[in-house]
Amino acid sequence: MDFSLLSEALSSKSYEKVSEICDELMLQAAAQGINFQDEWPHAIHLLGHLYINDVNSARFLWKSIPLLIKENQPEIVAVWKIGQRLWTRDYAGVHEAVRGFNWSSDVLNFVVAFSEKYTKKMFDLLLSAYSTISVADTALFLGMSEEDATNYALQYGWTVDPASKMLTVKKLPVVREQKLEPSKLQRLTEYVFHLEH
Amino acid sequence: MDSVDALIAQIQGLSSSPEDINALHTHLNQSEELLLSNVNRLANSLEQLDPSKHSLGYLYLLEASTSGPISREQSGEIVRCIARFIMTCEAEQIRLAPEKFLSVCKRLKDQVMLLQVPIQGIAPLRGAVHKLQSSPEHLTPLHPDFLLLCIMAKCYKAGRSVLSDDIIEVDQPKDFFLYCYYGGMIHVGLKNFRKALEYLHNVVTAPMTSLNAIAIEAYKKYILVSLIYSGQVPAFPKYTSSVAQRNLKCYSQPYIDLVSSYATGKISELETCFEANMEKYKSDNNVGLVKQVLSSLSKRNIQRLTQTYLTLSLQDIANLVQLGNSKQAEMHVLEMIQDGEIFATINQKDGMVSFHEDPEQYKSCEMIERIDSSIQRVMALTKTLHAIDERISCDPAYLAKMGRERPRFDLDDFDSVPQKFL
Repeated sequence: MDFSLLSEALSSKSYEKVSEICDELMLQAAAQGINFQDEWPHAIHLLGHLYINDVNSARFLWKSIPLLIKENQPEIVAVWKIGQRLWTRDYAGVHEAVRGFNWSSDVLNFVVAFSEKYTKKMFDLLLSAYSTISVADTALFLGMSEEDATNYALQYGWTVDPASKMLTVKKLPVVREQKLEPSKLQRLTEYVFHLEH
Repeated sequence: MDSVDALIAQIQGLSSSPEDINALHTHLNQSEELLLSNVNRLANSLEQLDPSKHSLGYLYLLEASTSGPISREQSGEIVRCIARFIMTCEAEQIRLAPEKFLSVCKRLKDQVMLLQVPIQGIAPLRGAVHKLQSSPEHLTPLHPDFLLLCIMAKCYKAGRSVLSDDIIEVDQPKDFFLYCYYGGMIHVGLKNFRKALEYLHNVVTAPMTSLNAIAIEAYKKYILVSLIYSGQVPAFPKYTSSVAQRNLKCYSQPYIDLVSSYATGKISELETCFEANMEKYKSDNNVGLVKQVLSSLSKRNIQRLTQTYLTLSLQDIANLVQLGNSKQAEMHVLEMIQDGEIFATINQKDGMVSFHEDPEQYKSCEMIERIDSSIQRVMALTKTLHAIDERISCDPAYLAKMGRERPRFDLDDFDSVPQKFL
């Protein structure tokens, strides 16, 4: 099997491409009748799905991995634990699962990248869903200590009320491009023409 | 040199120019008996041919050599051989003998199913679909087989490569029914319920003169997906065949019951209905979907609240939607905000939620791009429809049928007029 595309994606940190590359490699290997399961990088493949937030595909992949391989490679089980927490929306549990395993050097960078992306995503979620939220919950969502979480939030202009231990969220103004190009006008003319005929 | 060797020599000699290949095609058709009487030798003869150059000849030999019963030991090698052929053969050549190509592909599908390695057939059948179809709009009999393998191997994403094409040309109604049914299942697997609904809807509303099992199973799933997606099941559109309108509901009573208990908005009632019909759902393999229907009800109830209230306490939400406590209500609301199902902000300090209108103002460049591409797709579709309409109105068979029926209508009209005025 030729894993050069995959290793290239991993070394250039193009993690969003990993799941697609792995999916295709797997289909090709299977088509040639190669018994690929034993040497397949299941952990990386699973993470690839999780990285682009495709928990569905991760779940189906997990189901297709032979039992024996799952038993012999605890790292695969550990990655799927992250997947399970995502699946059940156990927001804080995801961070626990990330921290709860001693990742091998191949997987470590990928897990770190996933974790950073996930933290960012959680922060965006809090930003859009809350007007006030307790310091304790923020820490859980972001997978940080209460102090770190408070500092993280303060960077973005949130304010903290030390008495009630509540953070007040500072909403960001949404900037949207609203200018129209002249080519759009041309298209509009075509549409009207189309409708009249 | 005996006749099989002679045939091989001819295949080798006549596989370059289109004229030669046509001649070869005729010759191969005449040699079918020869091939069938030498089945055992063909596997060796195949080695003298190059599947990428001598595709047509290779196809005939391959088809004949795999036509007998296949033992389990041979099976693996045959699957690899067919897969290699499909991946390397030349599309122009194999399209001359679509029947042979279909039969070889079907054999591949049957073998990988027997060996319980459906994933092995996915890439080859995907290649086969693309080689056989005259355009991406053409539905081949291989489409449903390919999707079935994707479902069996749980490679749902792989199915999308074929599902993303808009189908306009269909050879056999059964292909279309199966294609849409499996397509619906793949989108259900990907939790892409809007798309799933579209596919299942196409099965249920497709023209049919007698009821078929695919339509019944599709209707059951249609009901479930419809509840998950929109909380209700729309009535049949008027272009649905009368057979489907009259009969589908009789075959799906447990599902119709689910719709009425869903409409009450009471989780307890829905659960009772689920328990009562559990066996039916199980035998239909729909338990997973039914469970998703159950969990969608809380969300739907929350969604309904947003239409009535501007702000509401988390405790009130928990009470109104029958959730355990305010924390659970908060998590439900959060999930829905994350999925873009409602627009709201949670105020933990006061334990309140405020609901908002959809902030989309339909004036950003991004939105205009989306509307623009929709308009373009609709325009392209209209053009295609016009073309099909014109083609049908010139079709001799259609005109003959219309010609037979028209005089009768005209006479009736003519008769009724004077009576009215008498």
